[in-house]
Amino acid sequence: MTAAFTLSDVNKVYGSREVLNVRHLEVHHNYCYTILGPNGSGKTTLLRIMGLLLVNDGGKINVLGEKITWEKSQLLRLRRQMAMVTQSSYMFLGSVYYNLAYGLKVRGNSGTCINQKVDEVLEIVGMSEFKQADAHSLSGGERQKIAIARALTVKPRVLFLDEPTTNIDNKSIIEIEKHIKEINTTFKTTIIMVTHNLFQARRLSDKLIMMWDGKIIEEGGPALFEEARDARTRAFLSGQLVPTMI
Amino acid sequence: MDVIWQGVKEGFFLILSLDQELVSITVLSLQVSLTALFIAAFLGIPVGAALALKKIPGKKMILNIIYTFMGLPPVLAGLLVYLFLSSRGPLGEYQLLFTPTAMIIAQFLLALPIVAGLSARAVMTQRQEVYDTAVTLGATRRQAVWAIIRESRLGIIAAITTALGRVMAEVGAVMMVGGNIKGKTRVMTTSIVLETRMGNDSTAIAIGIILLSISFLITFFIIALEKRSFKDDSSIHIV
Ligand SMILES: Nc1ncnc2c1ncn2[C@@H]1O[C@H](COP(=O)(O)OP(=O)(O)OP(=O)(O)O)[C@@H](O)[C@H]1O
Ligand SMILES: [Mg+2]
Repeated sequence: MTAAFTLSDVNKVYGSREVLNVRHLEVHHNYCYTILGPNGSGKTTLLRIMGLLLVNDGGKINVLGEKITWEKSQLLRLRRQMAMVTQSSYMFLGSVYYNLAYGLKVRGNSGTCINQKVDEVLEIVGMSEFKQADAHSLSGGERQKIAIARALTVKPRVLFLDEPTTNIDNKSIIEIEKHIKEINTTFKTTIIMVTHNLFQARRLSDKLIMMWDGKIIEEGGPALFEEARDARTRAFLSGQLVPTMI
Repeated sequence: MDVIWQGVKEGFFLILSLDQELVSITVLSLQVSLTALFIAAFLGIPVGAALALKKIPGKKMILNIIYTFMGLPPVLAGLLVYLFLSSRGPLGEYQLLFTPTAMIIAQFLLALPIVAGLSARAVMTQRQEVYDTAVTLGATRRQAVWAIIRESRLGIIAAITTALGRVMAEVGAVMMVGGNIKGKTRVMTTSIVLETRMGNDSTAIAIGIILLSISFLITFFIIALEKRSFKDDSSIHIV
């Protein structure tokens, strides 16, 4: 089976600053990937390019077997097989229900079918009683949970999660991780997650991608936690201050 | 003070007696202003959204022109329409001067920059996240643009109410191109001017009361349409 994503020499430049430069990256189906790295190292930028939200400046991208041309119908076809929980977990004006129904509505689903799916995902994040609540009155953690639930409604083949549990309490984190694992194993959803939570990375990841200053400096399995080659990765993964002069 | 009180009393009496002329003036006012506003919204909202979201050459200049025209004095709008519609003007052959149609055109010109300019601003305040959220949930480009406009709806409603306030209240433009002809182009604001000048204070006050109530009712109605998201309060809590 070919890789879900292949990136070659993909870069992104803002002004004169190259914020992303990925020489080569393959993301394979059914795995759970975690992207790690300090603030501003390009994690969100990488995720948005892979999620076809941001056009790269140079390089080649292959997504789900297609060479990306950024042509309109291709974008829609591919985006509809993916879902993303963005770093800000934006909520549309209106109720929680409206937000959860959105992905189903734009796909032309009917009312009863939508209602059933909404109940299902609310159950997953344990927020059934919030169905009619105003989405803008949710707390930070509640909003993130609804954002995750919203991404789950569309049964994506690939799920991007950009720091999905930053504001969520430990008990809920465990609950949500359980469901991330579950959709990863039962629906064979490929997960690509950014997190600053090293415990979470350890618990969930099959693969780790370490980013530094726009570049992928190291990749590997969970064993990376014990035997990283790069000194920066080693320091970062052990939660120590990272030597900046390397 | 007595004069005013007397006027208010007589004014209410005129309203309650459903004075024939008063009714027709009110109806014509509403017809003219709401038609102008409807057309302005129909064109202005898409134009505003397009200016905010699309890459259009000279966009900044177009926006600056629109912002300038938001403050267009009504008499100037009236003058412009007058020059176009007068018998020597380019559209003179249609004989529209001193008809309700001419008044609609003039008020449309006043409302359009307000609706377009304020809608553009409302859409511009939306952030990238709105679009990203919509498309990552599977929206087509068109659906995602619609989501952005939907998120801007409070600002767009404010644009419409502002424009409505402007056209309902203006007198200069309708006076110039309508001519304040009794039973034909006389509207509330022009008749207030006329009745006051003729010393019929009570009639002027009566019309004033109606004008105020209608503005209030329409605003109330528009806000009620969006009751769920239109709070009477900012969500900012200041202690
Ligand atoms: N639109 C933009 N214009 C200019 N610079 C940008 C833009 N978007 C991102 N950047 C810059 O690119 C760099 C990478 O940003 P990115 O959001 O990918 O970082 P990140 O790794 O996700 O960081 P964090 O952990 O804080 O979320 C940052 O230095 C940021 O300032
Ligand atoms: Mg980020």
